[in-house]
Amino acid sequence: MTGPMQGLRILEVGDLGEVAGKLLADAGADLILVEPPAGARSRRTGPFVEDLPTREGSLHYAYLNTNKRGVTLDLSQPDGQDLWRRLVAQTDIVIDGAGLEVLDGFGLGYDAFSEAEHLIWCSITPFGRTGPWRHRPTSDLISMALGGIVMMCGYDDHSLPPVRPEGEHSRYIAGEYAVVGILAALWQRVQLGLGQLVDVSMHEAISSTTEGAYMNWEYLGRNPERQTGRHAGTAERWQLLCADGKYAVLFGGGVPRAKKALQGLLAWMDEYDAAADLHDPKYEQLLHIRPAEGGELRKHFADTVAGFVGNRPMEEVYRRGQEIGMPWGPVRLPEENLDDPHWADRDFWVTASVAGHPELVRYPRAGYRMGQTPIEFRTPAPALGEHNAAVFINELGVTSDELARLQERGVV
Amino acid sequence: MCDFTWIIAGPQATRIFADLGAEVIKVENESYLDAVRGSAGLHNNFHRNKQGITANIHHPKGREVVERLIAKSDIVIENYSSGAFARMGFPYQRLKELREDIIYVSLSGFGHEGRDADYATWGPTAQGVSGMTAVSGLEDQPPAGWGYSYLDHTAGFYAAIGAMMALWHRRQTGEGQHLDMAQVETGMVLAGVPMLDFQVNGRHYERIGNGSRWPAVAPHGIYPTADEDRWIAIATETDEHWAVLCEVLERPELATEPRFASNEVRFQAREALDAALGRLTARFDADSLAAALSERGVPAGACQTIEDRMEHDPQLAARGFYPTAEHPELGMHRFEGLPMHFSRARWRIDRGAPVLGEDTRTVLRDLLGYDEREIAEMTAEAAI
Repeated sequence: MTGPMQGLRILEVGDLGEVAGKLLADAGADLILVEPPAGARSRRTGPFVEDLPTREGSLHYAYLNTNKRGVTLDLSQPDGQDLWRRLVAQTDIVIDGAGLEVLDGFGLGYDAFSEAEHLIWCSITPFGRTGPWRHRPTSDLISMALGGIVMMCGYDDHSLPPVRPEGEHSRYIAGEYAVVGILAALWQRVQLGLGQLVDVSMHEAISSTTEGAYMNWEYLGRNPERQTGRHAGTAERWQLLCADGKYAVLFGGGVPRAKKALQGLLAWMDEYDAAADLHDPKYEQLLHIRPAEGGELRKHFADTVAGFVGNRPMEEVYRRGQEIGMPWGPVRLPEENLDDPHWADRDFWVTASVAGHPELVRYPRAGYRMGQTPIEFRTPAPALGEHNAAVFINELGVTSDELARLQERGVV
Repeated sequence: MCDFTWIIAGPQATRIFADLGAEVIKVENESYLDAVRGSAGLHNNFHRNKQGITANIHHPKGREVVERLIAKSDIVIENYSSGAFARMGFPYQRLKELREDIIYVSLSGFGHEGRDADYATWGPTAQGVSGMTAVSGLEDQPPAGWGYSYLDHTAGFYAAIGAMMALWHRRQTGEGQHLDMAQVETGMVLAGVPMLDFQVNGRHYERIGNGSRWPAVAPHGIYPTADEDRWIAIATETDEHWAVLCEVLERPELATEPRFASNEVRFQAREALDAALGRLTARFDADSLAAALSERGVPAGACQTIEDRMEHDPQLAARGFYPTAEHPELGMHRFEGLPMHFSRARWRIDRGAPVLGEDTRTVLRDLLGYDEREIAEMTAEAAI
């Protein structure tokens, strides 16, 4: 059994196509990554194996290009352009993350293939293909700032700057939405027999990913205030330092919403003589009123729980909290999940190689666990030009002599 | 689509389908309302374009309504805690009996399988577990995390993608399936790079605030401007950007000062650099400074509020990102659009979110084959 998208042929080009390409390639599509002969920009993005910035050593590239095949092409040379056209002719979907007008500049963009009626062409650009900002320079930091995420994240102390959440989320958000657009266009191709251009704007994607901000402005006429480790408008702290120096997140400020959870919490606190006056039946009214109406009663309850949590180790706070029905969590580093057996129970990791490292490593499998079409790891990210012969000779009919000449001239 | 979602993560997934033209029917039960109905504007944004019915699953006739709907649906989706939907009488096996090729998407915090399947999450919990919280923040401060439930969006995106892939597979093979989604896993797939870095290089992730580690460039940060709590993000990539920045800030001589003359020394001295820059940017208006830098090729932008985006952002306005539609009680409002344009199709926002049970009668009559007499009876019996 392989993934759900097997049988589809996809071409991917350019930096911003990487995430969308990964999601589809991991799901079984035959995806060919087209890189310039000097290598994709992703290869120059760290971290690197042993911190050596080699062509095959980027772990950023390794993660985002799993299950893809890779060829090289210089699209500025006529022979490279010819090969590109021949590749496009054999493909269902092009993911164009090269930047506005890069392919168009060579006459190799969507308009050049208007006779290929089945073709789905997904353009992923920072601001979309139209509008006054379409040529504006940007980066992850700038896109996250303009899209509104930054201004919602940071600290209670507003003399500190707002914070861009780390992890290149701008490209993930745009890539996830690009896959939505591609799959929608694929569905419409079934009905119409026609492909189309899907114009994905990263700026809009980010702007649709700020939850309560929209409600605050459109209905209440206010801008949400950033707060440390919790939502705007929430009085109690959620992020608390535990006895072992690790943080836990007590969603809801540690105040239960159900009687059973309240009883469990008090029994647990009693084990350490830490329940203070919380057994008083007056606190049960907190179960039935909105947080904003809780006043001093709620504050005292939350403060007492916070004091208790500060004297227990984080893992106990997390596990015991969940066991009594509180949606509490640890504030883990990503890699700390590697040791949590729950994910192994779910077969979440795939064990595979990474270029330049002698031992096998574990990769996250996928964001969906599909019963009939499991997402499988077929190949690690391709080495530069790894599939030139397989694609150009076997599939496009280029002879090996021709390929050698193309290589000499830097076309591939 | 038979939509048993609530709060935000599930509704985010079905919103995508509804915006794309799918017939999404949200099923509610008056004894167990969507908590987000208490935030009417949020509810409106996440349930626009959907129909809404009520059905009392504890009444045999109400259950029959739900079962007829499932039998007519391509996809059933819910984001209750693990196991809750089965306890309501709808395990995957039952769904399959009602429709052999059904696609069932369950979206819970830790998934339906695994030793911690009973654990529950809200967005901030899942952000804490997956690592999203710990990696975000200034170097010398506790984690800042996220000021909202980012992973409710993300889980919704992956649920929508997974469901669309399952639909594609069903079209090829006729086979349905169960997608057992875990919100925390949708966060962990965003953190594959630091996980590899740890396994290969033994490096634990460290917060870098608004800086840039790969590549190691400076200046790269968020700086104050003339107005209170108004900030500008600046991300230089080259020495040329740096020189332009100094010029625009009216301190061209700074560019060649030995302590800032190359990226390497700037990166080493980034704390002092950021402090010096902050004193300069504080003399400027955020938007005009961002415009001046952008025009000269330096990536820069104001840290936009929702007010900025909805009222002043010329790009979002030009792309028609905030279309309006009517809600029966809230009236006409703008909505956040779908972030893409299609050349052969157009997404639309035709209506706001359904008020409770708004479409019960039409769905029962037109889709599920009930007549008016049956509907009246069931209403009288509180089955619907």
